[in-house]
Amino acid sequence: MLKVENLSVTYSGDGQKTHAVREVSFSLEQGQSMGIIGESGSGKTTLGLAIMGILSSTAKVTGTIEYNKINLRELSARQLDMYRWKHIAMVFQNGLDILNPLMTVNEQIKECIIRHLKIKNHDADSRVKELLEQVGLDASVADNLPHQLSGGMRQRVLIAMALACDPKVLIVDEPTSSLDAISKAEIIELLSRLQHQKRFAMIVISHDFSVITRLASKMCVMYRGCILEEGLTRDILENPLHPYTRGLINSSPSLNPYQDLWGIPRAGEATTDEGCSFFPRCSQRSQICKNQKPKLKYASLERKVACNQGGIITLLEAWGINKTYSFKGNKICACKDCHMSIRAGEIIALIGQSGSGKTTLASILSGYLEPESGNIEFLGQTIKQHEFTSKPKGIQMVFQDPFSSINDQFTVMQAVKEPLDILKLYNTDERIARVKQALIDVELASDDTFLNRRCFTLSGGQRQRVAIARSLVLEPRLLIADEISSMLDPSTQANILRLLKGLQNTLGFAMIYITHDLDIARKIADKLYIMHKGEIVETGPAWKVFDNPESEYTRKLMSKAGLA
Amino acid sequence: MRYQKALKYLVTFFCIITLNFFLPRIMPGDPFYFLSSEQGEVTVTYSQEEIDRFKAYYGLDKPVLAQYGSYLKGIIKGDLGYSIYFGSDVRTIIKNRIPWSVSLVLLSVIIGGGAGTLLGCLSAWQRGKGSDKVLYGIMVVISEIPAFLIGIFFLFYLAARQGIFPLSGGAKPFADYASWADAVLDIVYHGFLPTLTLSAVQMGGFYLIARNSMITVMSKDYIITAKAKGLSTGRILFRHALSNAALPIVTQAFYSLGQAVGGTLLVENVFKYPGLGSLMRQAVMVRDYPLIQGIFLTVTFFVVIMNAVVDILYKKLDPRIT
Repeated sequence: MLKVENLSVTYSGDGQKTHAVREVSFSLEQGQSMGIIGESGSGKTTLGLAIMGILSSTAKVTGTIEYNKINLRELSARQLDMYRWKHIAMVFQNGLDILNPLMTVNEQIKECIIRHLKIKNHDADSRVKELLEQVGLDASVADNLPHQLSGGMRQRVLIAMALACDPKVLIVDEPTSSLDAISKAEIIELLSRLQHQKRFAMIVISHDFSVITRLASKMCVMYRGCILEEGLTRDILENPLHPYTRGLINSSPSLNPYQDLWGIPRAGEATTDEGCSFFPRCSQRSQICKNQKPKLKYASLERKVACNQGGIITLLEAWGINKTYSFKGNKICACKDCHMSIRAGEIIALIGQSGSGKTTLASILSGYLEPESGNIEFLGQTIKQHEFTSKPKGIQMVFQDPFSSINDQFTVMQAVKEPLDILKLYNTDERIARVKQALIDVELASDDTFLNRRCFTLSGGQRQRVAIARSLVLEPRLLIADEISSMLDPSTQANILRLLKGLQNTLGFAMIYITHDLDIARKIADKLYIMHKGEIVETGPAWKVFDNPESEYTRKLMSKAGLA
Repeated sequence: MRYQKALKYLVTFFCIITLNFFLPRIMPGDPFYFLSSEQGEVTVTYSQEEIDRFKAYYGLDKPVLAQYGSYLKGIIKGDLGYSIYFGSDVRTIIKNRIPWSVSLVLLSVIIGGGAGTLLGCLSAWQRGKGSDKVLYGIMVVISEIPAFLIGIFFLFYLAARQGIFPLSGGAKPFADYASWADAVLDIVYHGFLPTLTLSAVQMGGFYLIARNSMITVMSKDYIITAKAKGLSTGRILFRHALSNAALPIVTQAFYSLGQAVGGTLLVENVFKYPGLGSLMRQAVMVRDYPLIQGIFLTVTFFVVIMNAVVDILYKKLDPRIT
């Protein structure tokens, strides 16, 4: 019904050009609803205004907007007026000035009815009352002036006004911003009810996932005017393919009731016009991203993603892992047909009781331990022994006990620099610089006194930081952290966890966090793997597993931990 | 709130009256000196005895404060005094002149204001385009030229050179009209140039204010809403935009009503129009204090009352002001 193709909007002013919307294409059928999500300034609202054809004259628009096979962009202003509001209407973002302050609600709703439906004044009056009641307002509101309405009432009036001529397409811009929780829920409820009743196609523009998930079955993720990901809302939430989408999900308080919120890091360098628009903020960028703009391509049946690397890359993939220990004739099955898949920048919590085989699995994944059978691939290459732990941008492990994992007699400098020395990477000066940077990253001192301190003089928390710094000097893509905080006091534990998560957010490495502590897992994990007696019994996005555990064992675990 | 406003105006009036009383007394010169001099055709001379008698008659021999007291008392009673030069009641003289001036001012504000506002709206709608730029340039020039200069230009060109309009006066002297329609026509004929002059000046001011105000309003969200609703240009421009831009325009209208009175004083002299302006000139020439004071008072009252009307209208126009 509505088909937008290659729509671009460029604002020019003061000799500068701003590409607000770039080559956006999508289509919408009757009764369908589509969400557009993105940070502020991503071009969402401009896109909505462009479809309405009401951008200011400083905006240059190219591309086509087809409504029922008619290209709206080719119509004259007068012809377009006949489509506006009657066929395509918009619920504008709620603001004090969005309604004319000197005209009553009645007049403002009525004027569109009279203009487009050619109804007599008196009949229009009763239609206005009908509309107001439909959106849950008293008919007497008709005589009010905008300044006499509350924010929630104004939002309802805006909806009533948009529906005045029974449009076939409704564009809704930030319908709940600046509303309190109750009004917000009511407005969402109202919009969803009206859409079911009237079967209009709806475009919901919002930066709030809770709005999009409730109102839109499919969604587009916009960044700097480009659509970076498109697909079914539920699929995207469970499995975001673009790093930006994941960043948005991680910043959403409604989707992360337990986890700390981490915004997407700010851009360090400027975007180039020819490269990927997300390049400066992307944690998995490569050289190609700087020079080549990715196209929105199908990644699966109903999913498109615009990324030169096909979306978030899968770092490690393991399947069919088996490992049995023999001890005095007893066979202990530590891993039974285990599998795992980790994508870049992800935190997986591997949860299980002690003895469930977590550490064995982690050791196998990193290549320290040979499995009896099974395959492990790191970036598509099969892992053979220490190959990836002994080179930069590979896999690193941090262990539970910082007192035994680092030689007591080493100075801090030696402890952190050792991997570089062994692997003979970089020259001496550069090694020292990297050591210092790693120490700064883990929030330790980097002066000579500290560098020359022996490790046995450090506290547990400091030593764990040193251990983390030691793994960070090799810039790992995957960090396996085995119960790293279990020996620390709560405050040090909190500091180390926040530190790791922060580093993970800016440096973008993936992490397998092995723990038996569900509270901590809930605080930091994106995905959960639950292990029981050598088997992976449940996997899924953390919020899903915590809210609705599927396996018997997980439920038991949750209830024992007092979480469910 | 309302009482406070009323009190404010009362104080304003009191200050005006006081200033009005003291100002001429600070001015150099003396009405009797002029009456006794060779100013114009007045050649009457007064003896010291006569001057003393006149001074006693007008109360000028009393202490200033006493004079001030009786002046206040007179004003409250509506008595503006007795003109020394014309030898008749100041109130009557002014009353006879007021219709000429007021009709000039009202007409010019209505005509000039209407045209200026309309052009301002169109200019704002066409903002940045050629027609807007040309109009803007012309209007800036017009609004900056003093009214009497425009008047002199019209007088020289349309009246003296082309002879289309009369050179001076408010009506044909000693005319005997056949019907009242003839009388009206003659008055309109005489009043045309002064009105045109004042209108032109008013138009410039109104245009600038209307254009400015409209441009501000045109960028408001509700105008985007109105455009999205597919409304006609006329409705967007005049119902949605102008009603919101009206506040400064209406303020300007009443403000300029006050100002135009000042302008008309000069323009009337250019056209020898029989309004307050010509009267004032005469009165100043001969130091006719009671008359000057009367005219001052009338004009300032007019301005203050217009301001009060703006205050009241503001509330009516913008329901948000409480």
